Amino acid sequence: MHVCARNKPTPRLLCLVALMPMTAGAEMKSLDDQALAGISGQSGITLELDLQMEADRLSYFDDGQGIHLEGFRVGSASDPSEQAFHLVRVDITDDAALNLDYLVEDRRIEFGDIRLAGAPGLSMGGLYFDHSLEGRLSIRAGGATGGSGYTFDSAYTMTGGRLGYRTNGNEVFLDDITLNVEALGVTLDVVGDTLQLEAPHTVGTYEIGAIRYSNNPLNHGRSRDIVSGAELPSYGGLSGAFDITASTSLSAGGRAGEGLRIDNETVINSAHFLYIDDGRALALRDITGYYRVNDLRLDVTSDWHGRAALGLTLGSLEGEFAVGDIQLGGAGRSLGGVNVSFLLEDQVFNGRTYSNAVYLQGGGHPDAGAQGLRLATEWSLRLADLSYVDDGNRVIFSGLQSWGRGDVTVNVTRDETRNGTRFYDGLRIGFEGVEAGYRINGLRVGDEEAPLQGGTELLLALGFYPAYEFTLDGHVTLGAGGASGEGITINSDIRIRDGRAALIAAPYDEGGGEIAQKGLWISDLNYNAHIRDMTVDVSDDGLEMVAAESWSTMDVGNLRVGDKATGSSFGRFVVQTYETGSSMTIVPGGAGDVCVGGAGTSAASCSGAGGVWEQRGDEGITIGMKQILARAVDDTRKNSFAWETNRQPGGDGGLINGSGTRLVLNDIYTSDGGDFDNDGVDDNTFGIRTDLAVDVYQTRVVKKSDGPDSLGVPGARGDEKIMDASAAAGYRYESSPSAADLENRPLGFAVRAQSRFKELSINNVDLVHPVGGPQTVVYGVKMQNFDIKANLTATPIP
Amino acid sequence: MIKTLGRLGRPIAFGACLALTLPSAAELTRLDDESLSAVSGQGGIYLSGDISINEMGGPVENRYFGRCEDTTKKCGARFAYRLKETGGWMVLDDIRGNFAFEGLTLRVRHIDSGFGGDGELFDRDVLELGLPDIVRFNDVRFKIAASNTPRPTDPGFQQTDIFSVQMRGAVIMEGNLLVFPEGNP
Repeated sequence: MHVCARNKPTPRLLCLVALMPMTAGAEMKSLDDQALAGISGQSGITLELDLQMEADRLSYFDDGQGIHLEGFRVGSASDPSEQAFHLVRVDITDDAALNLDYLVEDRRIEFGDIRLAGAPGLSMGGLYFDHSLEGRLSIRAGGATGGSGYTFDSAYTMTGGRLGYRTNGNEVFLDDITLNVEALGVTLDVVGDTLQLEAPHTVGTYEIGAIRYSNNPLNHGRSRDIVSGAELPSYGGLSGAFDITASTSLSAGGRAGEGLRIDNETVINSAHFLYIDDGRALALRDITGYYRVNDLRLDVTSDWHGRAALGLTLGSLEGEFAVGDIQLGGAGRSLGGVNVSFLLEDQVFNGRTYSNAVYLQGGGHPDAGAQGLRLATEWSLRLADLSYVDDGNRVIFSGLQSWGRGDVTVNVTRDETRNGTRFYDGLRIGFEGVEAGYRINGLRVGDEEAPLQGGTELLLALGFYPAYEFTLDGHVTLGAGGASGEGITINSDIRIRDGRAALIAAPYDEGGGEIAQKGLWISDLNYNAHIRDMTVDVSDDGLEMVAAESWSTMDVGNLRVGDKATGSSFGRFVVQTYETGSSMTIVPGGAGDVCVGGAGTSAASCSGAGGVWEQRGDEGITIGMKQILARAVDDTRKNSFAWETNRQPGGDGGLINGSGTRLVLNDIYTSDGGDFDNDGVDDNTFGIRTDLAVDVYQTRVVKKSDGPDSLGVPGARGDEKIMDASAAAGYRYESSPSAADLENRPLGFAVRAQSRFKELSINNVDLVHPVGGPQTVVYGVKMQNFDIKANLTATPIP
Repeated sequence: MIKTLGRLGRPIAFGACLALTLPSAAELTRLDDESLSAVSGQGGIYLSGDISINEMGGPVENRYFGRCEDTTKKCGARFAYRLKETGGWMVLDDIRGNFAFEGLTLRVRHIDSGFGGDGELFDRDVLELGLPDIVRFNDVRFKIAASNTPRPTDPGFQQTDIFSVQMRGAVIMEGNLLVFPEGNP
């Protein structure tokens, strides 16, 4: 491999270099006292540079295939015609260490285009990095393995940072970055044919004032619009801190021929991360963990379709992360904690071997313009466990596997119809033929050693299927700015084909190897979902999402029981939704104190009313939803439900949709029950309001029949299930549990729900015959004044 | 029970089997254990809890609906439908009450044995709803009525209450409800 730079025919490389002996000159005030304190002796040199450098192209070649970084420029960030100021003071101390104290002011490093030699007409877009730096680097002889290496101590502060990505005149950038880093005792050694970098202790803090978006081509790395002077819209800001230990190995050789190999192990000793929206935060605190990258290769190569690409292929990646506390909202209340362990590695799913690779290419969405990013992606999550801890109660979703392959495109787009495709303001993430899936083996409660149980259906309460396979097309565009001020605005159009999702799922591996996963499946699924102007904001209460308009069609070709592909079918189901002004709020904290099975506000009054008083703690999650079901606009924008059976067989052996008999609930909509604002249309502002408070909590589970259960644990009908780590199956049954036993009841999800609506109507219910056409059987249904409350606990079947 | 499952083996559009294992029917319990031994997979969930409808009233407050402490108004929910395009409305009015249950289970189960030999012939997957032993009803009530308009606040509203239903007590529901497809989907 080799690297070359090609300057313009009239290169403009302006370097003003001044070498001068160190004196107590006025300009020396720019080096801070702290930096000076680490230097012994008063000898050395100072280099002062005003630097502007441009190159048409920097190229990297690997096995004859190249990648070009075009429009390379180093200079001033605030004025492209000016230079960036550099001041470097070089000193050698009496321990033979080389000390560099440096100051960089207002520098921009930029690439206008990144292209692959094999696809010169396509660009990945441009990148720029603005910053001012002040810091110190000390280098001394001797690495970790002996005298042939080097040891570094480094500390620097970056201010006024800006990191931007630009395509077709639109850009998204991190604005007002402040970064403080201290890395001491970093060693660099050559071990055999490997460059070994050890960073035993690196600490730092960072703050990103805003993540901004611009659709004005005249703006380039500016916080304010150059025309209006208004501040550019912001997605919000970030901040955090980290304390890590890292070990990295670099060696020559790609996945094939030339290239680069990277191995890395990083331990996160402590960290925290905050997303800040108008001063209110989503905070991940008490983060610890590690990850280990094994055999990551970098090649300029081709992807599986023969397209030129910069390939990143991975041998394996394993790790574990724990977030001790997730806080949300102005008051900083806690949702609880999460822990995830994972292994990304080659694995066979559905008879096909999946690996982990990303092939970066230029172009993005073909209609969005010449610049953009295309990621031909394949992943293989061989195994992961995901756990949630709520007030010390831990539930583990065990044996998560995921696989997929397809193209992901990235463009910064503006609100326009271009080349026949509708685009929106923001960062557009597109999906093209992404064939993917995931599945969860089962549930464990308490710890990883607990026996595997069913119960992954509990995830349905949070909107996740226990298993799902699909082909995905469409996009999600993330715009800057929420309902007010900072935040996110989402527009999306998603299409899922050939989907198979489990409503109920048995394990895919009961301990004896992979088996066909049984369940209740929505299969042969085609799903279209559209969202317009959905704002996402962190509020004082939590996370608020409001969608101006959304509509979807879920066409379940077959609802199957048993095997997802061959199980017998209940027929076809089609569910259409159309909502305007619907919203959802996620609030930290679950149900708190609850009287289950009675009415009472204290333990005594609840017990007196025949209920059971439960104190579910401060953590947990509450989801508040308001669904405004709008009246039908056309055949695609309406709320309806259809069930079709007795379909005719098609030529391919399948069934022809629409050829059978259908039961249709047509035009379902909400209302406030009258036209109170006298605009000639019934008001529709209340909708269906549902509050779900979800906690992980202990619950009473009783045996339903005499004799041993499915795991062979004996017990009588009516005996209570008690968790017991000393028992072979992890639990036992007790006819008269003691007070201590009651402290070890099984964990599950406890849901307190309330759903209300003023009026819900169905315009008509039809029976549709394939020959005779529709016949209306019900000319209108009107439901009024409903307030339904439920306290439910859901646990795996004993 | 055995005969019931045998009948379900015949083609019908939609099959459902309610297996009631009454305490006095000891032989039915034995059959259930036998069939359980053939279960593969341990997916599914176990649900307990209580559900109430309009315990204190609903979200509408007007001249017809109100809170439950206001005895001049109705605080229950209302469900109206009509079967003729220009006809009147059948109404379930003032719907209120609550019920509690323990141990409702839901899972997919493969049946290939038991049931007096019918299971081996059946050899299929079913959706099994394990019924809770006891469902307790408390002050469940509603009225059957006929009305000339869907909303009680519509002009010219008239309604004739036909009869009222009130329920309180416990219902024993033992056994399993087996649901499986039949016929041409």
